[in-house]
Amino acid sequence: MLEHYLPAASTYASDIDGLVNLIFWIVGVWFVLCQVVFFYFIIKFRRKPGVKAQYITGEEKEQKRWISIPHALVLICDVFIVYGAVTVWVDIKQTLPEPEESTPVRVIGQQWAWTFVHAGPDGLLDTPDDIETVDELRIQVNHKYRYQLESEDVLHNFSIPVFRLKQDAIPGRVIEGWFEATQTGTFDVQCAEICGIGHGIMAARIVIEPAADHAAWMSENAPRTVLAATTP
Amino acid sequence: MVLGKWLVVMAMVMAGFSGTANAGDAVAGEPVFDLCTQCHGTAGEGNPSIAAPGIAGLPEWYVAAQLRKFRNGHRGTHPKDAEGMRMRPMALTLGINADPALSGEAKQDAQDKDLDNVAAYVASLPQTKPAASLEGGDSARGQGLYAVCMACHMPDGSGNQGVGSPPLAGASDWYLFSQLKKFKAGIRGNKPEDITGVTMRGMAGTLADEQAMKDVIAYIKTLSK
Repeated sequence: MLEHYLPAASTYASDIDGLVNLIFWIVGVWFVLCQVVFFYFIIKFRRKPGVKAQYITGEEKEQKRWISIPHALVLICDVFIVYGAVTVWVDIKQTLPEPEESTPVRVIGQQWAWTFVHAGPDGLLDTPDDIETVDELRIQVNHKYRYQLESEDVLHNFSIPVFRLKQDAIPGRVIEGWFEATQTGTFDVQCAEICGIGHGIMAARIVIEPAADHAAWMSENAPRTVLAATTP
Repeated sequence: MVLGKWLVVMAMVMAGFSGTANAGDAVAGEPVFDLCTQCHGTAGEGNPSIAAPGIAGLPEWYVAAQLRKFRNGHRGTHPKDAEGMRMRPMALTLGINADPALSGEAKQDAQDKDLDNVAAYVASLPQTKPAASLEGGDSARGQGLYAVCMACHMPDGSGNQGVGSPPLAGASDWYLFSQLKKFKAGIRGNKPEDITGVTMRGMAGTLADEQAMKDVIAYIKTLSK
């Protein structure tokens, strides 16, 4: 459903979408059901000539049923939501890919730009072939990346909507996470945490390319520092 | 008479080189300046604690030229230029309130208009006197080093629009120091499109070390009186 509005371009995008859908349908069904019951009661017990309003304490057995049965059913629904959420959380946030099957990339947020430090052809950070870019992240499709997220100044949030990725960047901390793109293309990177007057325009682009193109870009640009796209 | 004609021709060539026409409307630029006040202060006096330089009274052509450089990504796009990267999005917002229906050249015109207007407003602000914050400079030694600078920035530090060099007299010492370091390290003036920046980068390279920078800045400060 969400994919119709925003492409899903990472391995876990469909998991996040599935979770959002699960919550949407469970909560949606309950919402509609509640409204139907409310409107039924409002119409059924509307003011009628000669009928006095009743004061209901909610202590009778048949009255309490209106609370206890939905309560139990909602709790059962919660089990499904919690199970889905924890499964996805463990997969995305708690499990990092092994270093040998992934490439590190450093993501640094600052007011109001993103700096990306690519590992270069040797696949390691903090070596002379690192490639630094501003507001442009370049990655290879179908390959795992471990990001190290940092902030230079205040809170930011590294958000790639097509990956369904959103992670706070906190000054003084290095936060690790991962992603793997499933399709090529150029998509938005944005800041999703209010970070000052330029927050709304703290945007970058992620370029996802086939392995050969990405290798060509790396060999062309390492170790020279690459600057951001010059067009406004 | 002949000399007069030559002077006119030279003036036209120089105006062409600087690439800007003072076309801004300061009154229209005042509301645009609202955004700038967040860092540069309501009087354009700057704020050293967030590395925002004083800009009040800078020449309109210089402010407009720098805003264009930021907007076009010729300045403020180096990963080590944190302050420049902070300024660039601000320059990109100029013209953001223009009619959304505009596109192409009409949109560009609207953005240019905001940019020129705010530059005119900045130029119309009375120059502020920044407090000294840099210590350890020897102005006597700096005077000798300034001989290189004066070719473009003039002996009195008043700048020269003809070659795109801004006035230095009256500038904040901390700002001059940070920019000299950036030029020398290739953090500013590293884009071929930034012609005056590339020139300045070479000039900053003639200053041997940070002490030399402090010396020349100490001399520039004597020009501000």
